[in-house]
Amino acid sequence: MPSDSLDPTDATDATDATAPRPAAAPGRRSFLRGMAGGVAGGVIAGGAAGGAAGYAYRGGPAADPAAAANEAFVTGRLPAVPFHGTYQAGILPASSPATAVVSFNATVQSRAELTELFQTVTDRARFLTAGGTPPLVGIGGPPSDSGVLGPTVVPDGLTVTFGVGSTLFDDRYGLASTRPAHLTPMVAFPNDNLDQAQCGGDLILQLSAGHADTVVHALRDIAKNTRGGMQANWRIDGFASPARPAGTVPRNLMGFMDGIANPSVTSAKTMDSLVWVEPGGAGEPAWTAHGSYFVVRLIRMFVEFWDRVDVIEQENMIGRRRDTGFALDSTSIFAKPDYTLDPTGDVIPLTAHIRVANPRTPKTASSQILRRGYNYDRGLDPVGDLDMGLIFTCFQQDIGRQFAAVQTRLIDEPLVDYISPFGGGYFLALPGVTGPSDYFGRAMLA
Amino acid sequence: MGTRRLRAAAQFAAVGAALAASLTACSSGGGQPSNVITVSSNQCGGAWQLPGPGWHTFEIYNQSNGGGEIDLVDPANGAIYAELEDSGPGTTSAMTLDVGSGRYAFLCNFADFNPIQGDIVTVAGHATGTPAILPITSTDIVPLAKDYQAYAEAGLKVLARETSALAADVRAGHLDAAKRDWLTAHLQYQTLGAAYDSFGDFDDEIDGRADAVGVGSPKWTGFYRLEYGLWHGQSARALVPVADTLSSDVNALLAWWPAQEIALLNVGLRTHEILENALEFQLTGHDDYGSGTTLATTLANIAGTRELLTLLHPLLVPRYAGLPAVYSGLALLQSLLEKEHLRSGRWVPVSALSVSSRQAIDAACGQVLQELAPIASITEPRDTLNAF
Repeated sequence: MPSDSLDPTDATDATDATAPRPAAAPGRRSFLRGMAGGVAGGVIAGGAAGGAAGYAYRGGPAADPAAAANEAFVTGRLPAVPFHGTYQAGILPASSPATAVVSFNATVQSRAELTELFQTVTDRARFLTAGGTPPLVGIGGPPSDSGVLGPTVVPDGLTVTFGVGSTLFDDRYGLASTRPAHLTPMVAFPNDNLDQAQCGGDLILQLSAGHADTVVHALRDIAKNTRGGMQANWRIDGFASPARPAGTVPRNLMGFMDGIANPSVTSAKTMDSLVWVEPGGAGEPAWTAHGSYFVVRLIRMFVEFWDRVDVIEQENMIGRRRDTGFALDSTSIFAKPDYTLDPTGDVIPLTAHIRVANPRTPKTASSQILRRGYNYDRGLDPVGDLDMGLIFTCFQQDIGRQFAAVQTRLIDEPLVDYISPFGGGYFLALPGVTGPSDYFGRAMLA
Repeated sequence: MGTRRLRAAAQFAAVGAALAASLTACSSGGGQPSNVITVSSNQCGGAWQLPGPGWHTFEIYNQSNGGGEIDLVDPANGAIYAELEDSGPGTTSAMTLDVGSGRYAFLCNFADFNPIQGDIVTVAGHATGTPAILPITSTDIVPLAKDYQAYAEAGLKVLARETSALAADVRAGHLDAAKRDWLTAHLQYQTLGAAYDSFGDFDDEIDGRADAVGVGSPKWTGFYRLEYGLWHGQSARALVPVADTLSSDVNALLAWWPAQEIALLNVGLRTHEILENALEFQLTGHDDYGSGTTLATTLANIAGTRELLTLLHPLLVPRYAGLPAVYSGLALLQSLLEKEHLRSGRWVPVSALSVSSRQAIDAACGQVLQELAPIASITEPRDTLNAF
């Protein structure tokens, strides 16, 4: 790991005037950035160039790449996903085995503190996604790491996706005039059953990784380091199953493959027209460039009811075969349905989910979304039925033109009897953090 | 030694041992320094070296036939970088730290022998490493423990008068006055830092929850029992025995207290444990048995915490850079709580807080607990360092 000591005497950062790391001034609240349990404590006296008050975080020994790769192979941990980039790294890849989606409200009291909060989230994300040995804080405080991943934090493919909600742009932090053009609160669609306690939030954080413990460890770490600055509103954990049979697409908890048809993430042109906020796009403040509107929908599935439905009826509601994932008119999984050959819906019903969501006409091409779905499974409902379903997330350039248009088409589709959207929200996933002196929301807060 | 110290040492050794295998010797290379530090009651480490700053694991080999504590210190003032508390005879244990620039020496403390400091090694440059801590000894803490005991005793005397007045209200059937006096007395008790057993079984008798026995149980006594009765329309007649028992239990505690010895470790531990308790039971509203005053209780808990900080302040100033953040954090939490004390004298119950008020309070409490937590480790008595 490159030296990320922010000791002011360290030459690496000596000339970096753009990301000041002030020492914790007496009387000023600090966020324990990098203190991770109070490193800056217990240290004024004593030698070793005194870890003086302020930012004492420093990563552990550099992991030998070959050893890390070998460990990953042996333990099944995924390789690290680089954190820095034009775009946030967690948006384009397929769903990871484990995820957590957590909504927060900012509790900071000023714009300056909001900046510090975002810097802290960035710094933690940087460490967690790269992995390494957490600093030993010595005998003057609790350990800097929970130890959930052992003495060395493994990256395990962790991605950290951080976004903002419309409520952040109220009068608290002076951001009202710089709100993204298409960022509004999520309003209920006619078939929704929204629980306001599980909706919205100033901030959204999605942590995705190869294993549940990696996700839990990251969430705990970020929450600890931001304890005074943001409070969680709601959270949901999820998982993506391995594709079964091999070579197909992972299934949701209705037993159907989910995410077969998605815009191509390897086509920059497609991503620029569908996923990324257009730089200089109509009405968008400049800082939103390279971000992406991030819709989260928490959707309960009534699986007991669903399991009592004939599979042909299920397939007609979805528009695909359950076992193979083929569209009802196709003989291979990724073949595109051709609705022009089936105008009256004799093969793929007119009300089938895939047909209504994406009619595949030239006009509806621009409403396509990049879907990243996860399963959730958490407890029971009042009649003892299993509370499980879908964490539906999608990324797009314009919620109104894309997700909302799709969801409007889906109003009263046959599938609505078997699902109940109860939470989520509309957010903007921030532009990527481009390098060590950048941080989440830097342009937004400039 | 308190169990917390043992746990901390075990955890430290475990981390060290786990890292020992994976770390190649100290980063920048240059020579093959042996990581083995041989110690005994007449020599401490011999000639040893450090190649430079960076992570380093020592293997401390105790060659003697007795147990000892081996510390890595700053020879200028005895500040401790790392400690190995239980080095058994003939054993090898790992000690890991991030070596920074400065001077290092081992200090060996074997039972029945004078401490020996080993050779001093200097690491050049400006690297930051694992911080060191100036130890605090029992001698430092004993007077503070006595002061805290006196504070609690004075507080208990006030409390005894208040619970007596409370019992009188109930006996006379003046239940409105009883409610006011209940609050006064309960808050007084909550300033005394009873968290986690400092008052032994008395805390359960005086301030016990109904969780284990149920609200209908005759075994439930104390402030919360009385609160439940006063705010659920129970009759004065039914509550007379409850109030009388409370008053006599407080007097019994007051009589028992002066002979108690506060464990020295507890002075530092209580500093965050009082508010941990508040976060878990008051700010969740769990301990609201009808009066809706858990935010007032939390304010009283802050007062108890402040008393401990006042006692520890001179020791903390040279040792804890985060101390100003503790005070500002407590001030913030206090101001957020005071906002919920209405002009009428009523307190807003936790269940009635707006989302933003509740989240602001929870954030402030969680944050100040982060800042308070290191105080326990910093003020843990470390008695072996009397060579400075």
